[in-house]
Amino acid sequence: MKVKAKLKKGIVKVKAMAKHEMTTYNMAEKKLGDRDKANFITHITATCNGETVLDMSTSQFLSKNPIIKFKFKGDICKKGDKLLMTWVDRSGKTGKGKGKIK
Amino acid sequence: MERRTFLSLTVGALVLAVAPASVRAEDFRKSKPLVWTAHTVDDAMKALYGTTETKAEGVKLKTPKVAANGGAIPVDFSTKIPAKSIAVFQDANPEAAVCVYSVGKHDITEYSIKIKMGKSGSITVVVEGQDGKLYSANQKLEVALGGCEG
Repeated sequence: MKVKAKLKKGIVKVKAMAKHEMTTYNMAEKKLGDRDKANFITHITATCNGETVLDMSTSQFLSKNPIIKFKFKGDICKKGDKLLMTWVDRSGKTGKGKGKIK
Repeated sequence: MERRTFLSLTVGALVLAVAPASVRAEDFRKSKPLVWTAHTVDDAMKALYGTTETKAEGVKLKTPKVAANGGAIPVDFSTKIPAKSIAVFQDANPEAAVCVYSVGKHDITEYSIKIKMGKSGSITVVVEGQDGKLYSANQKLEVALGGCEG
């Protein structure tokens, strides 16, 4: 997972991309012949200095290699701190990424 | 008997008092599984919040009016309302739910995601305020090329 974070005027802006096929049920049925082979990210979290700053449950309708942007208050971190992000997909696989807050 | 009701009331009050302190990020896929299989926006909203009554105010939603590629439609939304959770639905795909955020105390409720839509339809963003009310915004858009067929 690629993570870019920038601290400006007390607000951290984050842009992140997860590399994932995001196969929907329909795509799985058409291409793989089995609805149950659908695989997509189901949960994404981001933490900074132990505090959760993003928590989302997702479905198959995020785009392929989904890009997400979000913001959080910068009072819990400073420049140079690390932002950790994790996703979990339907098969149970996890992906991690971290970015330095610039 | 009276003593018993008094006791149970006290325990109930205690549980209520303790709950907010231990509120943690919620995995909506586990806690509300029906949301993710609902086929219409109304059903998904009912499964998530128990009602479909929303106020159409306080939520900003921005999408392109015509999306050339349904595989990656940028959806930006924000709200100034102190929110508990935010849900995104659409009515063009077989299931309605796209994602549900649980808003933490550090979050600024301004998000941007890219979603897939199989055909033209509308996107609904529902904000669950900390006052327990629901606020929403809705936008129709046309999709030139569906994104769910792969």
